[in-house]
Amino acid sequence: MPFEAWALPWAFRIRENETTIWGEGDLPPLEYPRLSVDRLGQLLSTLRDARESLSRIPVGAVLTAVDQVARRLHDPGDELRRRALEGIEAHGGVSEPMAEEILTRMARDWTRPPLEALLHAEFRDPGVLDGLRPSRIGGEVRALGYPLSFNLGAGTVPGVSTTSLIRSLLVKSAVLLKPGRGDVPLSVLFARALEEAEPQVGGAVAVAYWPQTQSELTETALKAADLAVVYGGDETVAWVRSHLPPTTPLVAYRHRMGVGVVGRDGLMGGGEVDLARRTGGRRANAVETARSAARAVAVFDQRGCVSPHLFFVEKGGETGPEAWAEHLSRALEGMEEELPSGPVSPEDGSVLQQVRGKAELEESRGRGRVFHGGSAAPWTVLFEPGGRPEVSCLNRTVKVIPVGRVADILPSLEPWRSHLQTVGVAGLGGGRPELLEGLARLGVSRVVEMARVPWPSPWWHHDGSGPLQALVRWMDVEEG
Amino acid sequence: MIGEVEAFQELETQIIRLLEGGVDGPLSDAEFNDLALRVFRFQCRCVPAYRAFVTRRGLDPDGVSRWEEIPHLPTRAFKAAPLMAGDPREAEAVFRTSGTTGGEGARGEHYIRSLSLYRASLLPNFQAHVFPDGDGLPALALLPDPAEAPESSLSYMLGEVRRDLCGGRGRFFVDPESGLRAGDFLQALTEAEGTDDPVLLAGTAFAFVRWMEEAEKEGWRVHLPEGSRIMETGGFKGRSRTVPREVLYSGLENLFGVPRTLIVNEYGMTELLSQFYEPVLAGGGGWSRRAEGEGWRKVRNEGADPARGALSGRYHRGPPWVRTRVLHPLTLDPVPAGEAGLLAHLDLANLGSVSAVLTEDIGRLVPGGFRFQGRNPGAEPRGCSLAMEDFLHGARGGRGAI
Repeated sequence: MPFEAWALPWAFRIRENETTIWGEGDLPPLEYPRLSVDRLGQLLSTLRDARESLSRIPVGAVLTAVDQVARRLHDPGDELRRRALEGIEAHGGVSEPMAEEILTRMARDWTRPPLEALLHAEFRDPGVLDGLRPSRIGGEVRALGYPLSFNLGAGTVPGVSTTSLIRSLLVKSAVLLKPGRGDVPLSVLFARALEEAEPQVGGAVAVAYWPQTQSELTETALKAADLAVVYGGDETVAWVRSHLPPTTPLVAYRHRMGVGVVGRDGLMGGGEVDLARRTGGRRANAVETARSAARAVAVFDQRGCVSPHLFFVEKGGETGPEAWAEHLSRALEGMEEELPSGPVSPEDGSVLQQVRGKAELEESRGRGRVFHGGSAAPWTVLFEPGGRPEVSCLNRTVKVIPVGRVADILPSLEPWRSHLQTVGVAGLGGGRPELLEGLARLGVSRVVEMARVPWPSPWWHHDGSGPLQALVRWMDVEEG
Repeated sequence: MIGEVEAFQELETQIIRLLEGGVDGPLSDAEFNDLALRVFRFQCRCVPAYRAFVTRRGLDPDGVSRWEEIPHLPTRAFKAAPLMAGDPREAEAVFRTSGTTGGEGARGEHYIRSLSLYRASLLPNFQAHVFPDGDGLPALALLPDPAEAPESSLSYMLGEVRRDLCGGRGRFFVDPESGLRAGDFLQALTEAEGTDDPVLLAGTAFAFVRWMEEAEKEGWRVHLPEGSRIMETGGFKGRSRTVPREVLYSGLENLFGVPRTLIVNEYGMTELLSQFYEPVLAGGGGWSRRAEGEGWRKVRNEGADPARGALSGRYHRGPPWVRTRVLHPLTLDPVPAGEAGLLAHLDLANLGSVSAVLTEDIGRLVPGGFRFQGRNPGAEPRGCSLAMEDFLHGARGGRGAI
């Protein structure tokens, strides 16, 4: 049975013969709604109507509804979790343990405490989402989500579409979500369970997938929406931008590239640990930082916007960069037990084999080293003295580039400034201030201890700005 | 042990004799295996970088007994080192790929020890697939003249074709600096139109698309004499702004008056001295086998024959001295016939460099050859990383671009 790729509000029912089954490549087929432009218009009107009642319920009630579904997704005994896991594995192209890890961590972020933390980080007083509130600096303020948000997901990391849906609901926007191909089941299951939990909230949500070829539907939704939220490549973002009316704001989460930096203090040979609490300030064992780095690469099979593509390793530590690269390769091998890689597509494998083969040839000529998982696993570590930052071919392929001082990396990252996002750090020592200031100037939006790379805090300024702030407009009532 | 030079000459003579037997010449499994192993051992001996690659993969060149065990060198390795048997400074030519990644060592290079092998391979194959019905036609090429583009393997190929198959008749209409010489090309087309003598148009799909844009804008349309034909190449990989093949072929039919039954796609690469063609003019079938372990034999592809012009049934085939396998993207084991995987070729004409080459191209085996798939343009890229699309495309070693 193909997966039913829709969750539509109770006030809009799909008709007989209004769906079609579609398969693509090696992915399992989907049954998706084949809406006409007119029918999509009806759906959007339904969502606008539903937004009226959504706007009248307090944000706390939205939280409660979302929390209820998140707990079900977290509960090993719940059928909803089982179905979500199946869907993530089959459609997201990840292994079963990876699906477990992703769902567990994502669902935890959708429960009440992290969402409350997010609301409070974004709005000193989240009551502004329910009505006029006194402002800190006199007068009153009100924050309103846009009535109808059209969210386009990317499909590379399961769960991201659902996160975007939840964010829109927290500011009480009605949402039409078109999830990415690999992220359909989780967002559909979430939306259906939400409607069960609280029809007033779920009634303002529609999740529908359609293939890229039906761009007339995407165009219609872009014209009708009050806000567009898009996750995707630069080309996708450019396309969306060019199809939006000039009055409609756009929130775009583009392609991003993460890197890791391991300073001398993160290359200790012994079991040193000290209690310095600042990120990147701690001394750490080289094997330990390599393990954290391997996990950062492995989670999402490196497809996350937070995933590192390369590591800079400072020379002169107790463990040298080349030895650290070996530690990393062993750690990646170990990760195949804990979080095995998903299947490698011919497209991805095509590049992977070229990268490996070229590096093997280089190594045999005395230039650099290459470690890889052979025919058992796709992970590949390229040790490249003098190498330059480059985007990885993914599937757990990383470069390790030795550097004299951690701050030396800054010029080489300059060409990537519009795409840098997360920098995982370890053992930066005295180079920390110069490095962090330089990274801020390069537009890096997140610096984090290596072990925490895969899972951003719920209140993270996503790509550098407030994730809920981006979804509202404000009204200020100035004091008499 | 005989010297390296003698060893090369002996193998070269034997391979050229085989190539001159043409694309229908007999070549048994045992003969191919024997020759492939001798070529492999020669290359391990005389191409140090390849030997190191083979050794690193844990293989002893003398311990290999089946050609299928020969490790394929990825095409990108041609960017890392001059891979030629002997001193690269004595190469008769160096062909370079046009693709650039913007990264280090951006262009692939193929050092050619002996152009005789290239000529011996390309001529009978071209003749069989483009001029199967008789003598060569005057060639109007949307390519730079080989004299102006000595690094282009494609220009070289068409230069040889013009001289040896087309009786020296034909011209090149791309300037390496300024691009398409549209006025000259139009004039040549118009002249050809006024005669009864058919012509061959040859070029990259990219160049034909450029011409289409220009011609549609200016309203240029010709109806070339009956029997005129088109060979286009290199257009369905390496460029993100390709037009769908259906659009290209409709455009070619419309602008030149050449039916698609006379339009042939050639698939070639700088790193290989032999080419693959769609047997549109030549009739279906080719060297093939149903499964690993079975013998290779000449088969007919009945499915594609009745409507040879139809794009859906098209596939490519190589000459008997090239054997193509489709490998699993991770394990590099052969995939079952019909499944998608990486195209890997073993080309005996590559004697002077490395014969076993793993491409970046995706395809599947069909009776008689393989179907080139490239990257599925409808698929959403799975990497959320930066410009995966550009990365993949830019990294291709496509040779055809102008």
